[in-house]
Amino acid sequence: MQVVKRLLVKGLTMLAVLLIVQFLVVITLGATGYSDRMLEAVISEELRAIRPSLAETIRDPERLEEALTARRDELVALYGLDRAWHTRLPGMVFRVFTLDLGEAHTLRSSSGSNRVADIVGERIPKSMLLLTTSMIVTAAIGLAIGARLSSRAGTVLDRVVSSFSAVSYALPTWWVGILLILFFSFRLGILPSGGMYSAPPPDGSFLRFLDLLYHALLPVFTLVLAGIGPYIYVVRTISVNIAQADHVTVARAKGLSDSLVSRRHILRVAAPPIVTGLVMGFAGTLGGSILVETVFNWQGMGRLYYEAIAGTPDEMVIVALTFVYTLIYVVARMILEVLYVLLDPRVRYG
Amino acid sequence: MAERPSRRIVKELWQSGPGKAGLILLALLAVTSLVVIVSYPRNFGTGYWANPGYWADNPKSAPPAWTNALTREKRPRHLVIDIDEPAVSESTGRAFRRVYSEKSVFDADFPPTFVSFSVSNLQYSRRPPVLTVFLIRPDGGEVTLARRVASGPRQGEEVPYVRYADEPLRESVGADDRVLDSLSRIHGVDRQSMSASLEAALFGISTDEGGFGMLRGEYTLQLEALFQDEDDSLGSVRFVLGGSVYGVMGTDALGRDLALGLLYGLPVALLIGVATSTVSTLLGMFLGMTSGYSGGWIDLSIQRAADIVANIPVLPLLIFLVFIGGSKLWLILLVLVAFSWPGLTIMVRTMVLQLKTGLEVESAKALGASSFRIVFRHILPHAASYVLAQLVFFAPSAILAEAGLSFLGLGDPSIPTWGQILEYGFRTGAVFLGYWWWVVPPGLFIVLTAVTFMFLALGLEPVVDPRLRGRRSWHF
Repeated sequence: MQVVKRLLVKGLTMLAVLLIVQFLVVITLGATGYSDRMLEAVISEELRAIRPSLAETIRDPERLEEALTARRDELVALYGLDRAWHTRLPGMVFRVFTLDLGEAHTLRSSSGSNRVADIVGERIPKSMLLLTTSMIVTAAIGLAIGARLSSRAGTVLDRVVSSFSAVSYALPTWWVGILLILFFSFRLGILPSGGMYSAPPPDGSFLRFLDLLYHALLPVFTLVLAGIGPYIYVVRTISVNIAQADHVTVARAKGLSDSLVSRRHILRVAAPPIVTGLVMGFAGTLGGSILVETVFNWQGMGRLYYEAIAGTPDEMVIVALTFVYTLIYVVARMILEVLYVLLDPRVRYG
Repeated sequence: MAERPSRRIVKELWQSGPGKAGLILLALLAVTSLVVIVSYPRNFGTGYWANPGYWADNPKSAPPAWTNALTREKRPRHLVIDIDEPAVSESTGRAFRRVYSEKSVFDADFPPTFVSFSVSNLQYSRRPPVLTVFLIRPDGGEVTLARRVASGPRQGEEVPYVRYADEPLRESVGADDRVLDSLSRIHGVDRQSMSASLEAALFGISTDEGGFGMLRGEYTLQLEALFQDEDDSLGSVRFVLGGSVYGVMGTDALGRDLALGLLYGLPVALLIGVATSTVSTLLGMFLGMTSGYSGGWIDLSIQRAADIVANIPVLPLLIFLVFIGGSKLWLILLVLVAFSWPGLTIMVRTMVLQLKTGLEVESAKALGASSFRIVFRHILPHAASYVLAQLVFFAPSAILAEAGLSFLGLGDPSIPTWGQILEYGFRTGAVFLGYWWWVVPPGLFIVLTAVTFMFLALGLEPVVDPRLRGRRSWHF
């Protein structure tokens, strides 16, 4: 029962987050007149599309204009442009939820489509690839180093890593990426400065995969470098605290090996708070990935933000991106929440 | 309490290593900011930084001058010569001749990147004066760089006729016939071979291989003005020998002095950090106090709201709101404040709940103290150090958030920040061309400022609670 209640509360909070972000977005769009302009653009688009076919049946130019005006009025009523913007809010929220946001001004998907849903849709897996890879690498390395450090608490190495973790709070992730490009790509010339594939990409799926890996090295490294400090620190501090608990002393007294004690008796107990640490860092990683994608020209959603801001602003693409990022965040938080419940028996039997 | 709490905290900060470093750095940054605020013009952002004309005389994308010490070959420094008074002023019988000239030693291994001159505040009463610009080389060769005649009187214009008062006449020396003719006389080579490397021909001697070697020595830049009347005058003359290194920090692609922009970014960054953290701390504290002290539905709604706001991914929403609302600094700060209060609210509420049932509050109540007095005298002082730690902790996040937003192109164009300098560098490809002096220092400044606050936060740790660390919802 405890589990269900906890997950339900979390789930409702997350749903509220999603809804509130949606309403904030559409209210802003409505109050600033963006939604009116967007709907007007949609209507003119449709009118342009039916004009040739109407012109074939109606010869008289005056009658044609009349028919078009009538059609325009119908569409205005259909989309609710004749009503105040706040009466259209639920409709707009629905449109955002289904990514039914019309067409972008200048941005195109790789297949040439100008629909916002297509443009954003094809970028999601690319962003997810970067995000999940760096999360997993961060978690793995953070666990390994943090656990190791906890048995060396107080040594020089421990202090060095601890201060690195503090300083890494002050590092702008994307600037670290720029430094890495300057060094590895410009100075040494051994790694690509950006993009996802070489031009032209190599033949064969395995070679293409290797090429992708080669291009992902620097962005993943940047994200890991920025996120790992605090994570190591969390793992280390929690493990140090647990290592002093009685059950660990008992385990050691039984003569269990260090690695077994560390795995079964320290890390197992430390697992739930470590997951909490991961949760704390996730929002940062998400934000960091937007900027890191921009720096490395990684063709994901983060880079799309940059492309939609620079040049001709594509506001609907930005609306879609903000929604998808919030969605990803909410889903990831729920997954971590379930993980927490699975790891912490106290929640299940509490 | 014998000592004021603020003094106690500073004293404790001073005793810890990071705390001391943080205090010293903060003092340094604050003093520098004050100097910048006092010495910079009010409209630096709009009138100077965003005005390419102001930087037109500077070399573009030039590394700092001190990099010459690191390379074997010497690149020319940037040289600006301003002359207000003529060296020679004489009457030739038919006209008044004034010569503005200045000698300058040239000893670099590469020619200047460009040569330009400007003239301002020209005044005449009858006939427009004739201006001729010369370069006199160490070997005695004389090159006529340009000859200009100011525009004649307009219909209905009154005497004296003033030219180039608002906007100086500014010209770069180009490969025109007059220049090439005098150069081919000096070098004895045909004009074709020089038009491609005009500056090398101006400041060099032709070698047997067909190129030019640099001719080191004393050059004279000279402008001769022939006036009709004695009262005709010329305000000032400027010669620029474009360098390929510049100043302490180099320049960007518009020729802007990066040192000036980087310094200006300091008070802006401090303002962003301090303003955001102060307001959001006050807000968080107020909500936490209200929530904890009042209880009931107020408590419940504040806690639910805190839960939700704490879980909103900030950067995407920040991008959206600033994109729609316009790139204004106050809007960026407002949005940051709106999303940064929940952590403190939750913490303060917990503390208030503990203190509320404690003996101190109970005794105060028994003595008939008002709720207001209880909150301010018996609860707030206990929470003060937590609140202070949070205040220090917010500041770097705000600075980093603004920098990230500026990097995406959403920075306030009227207020140059480090993030914007980086953005311009990134957009124009400085990163991929290896212009390190343009992209490394702004980041270092961001890190330095953020680290200052981090040090202070670390120093506060013994004062407060070590578990505070890592409680930050956003960090890019």
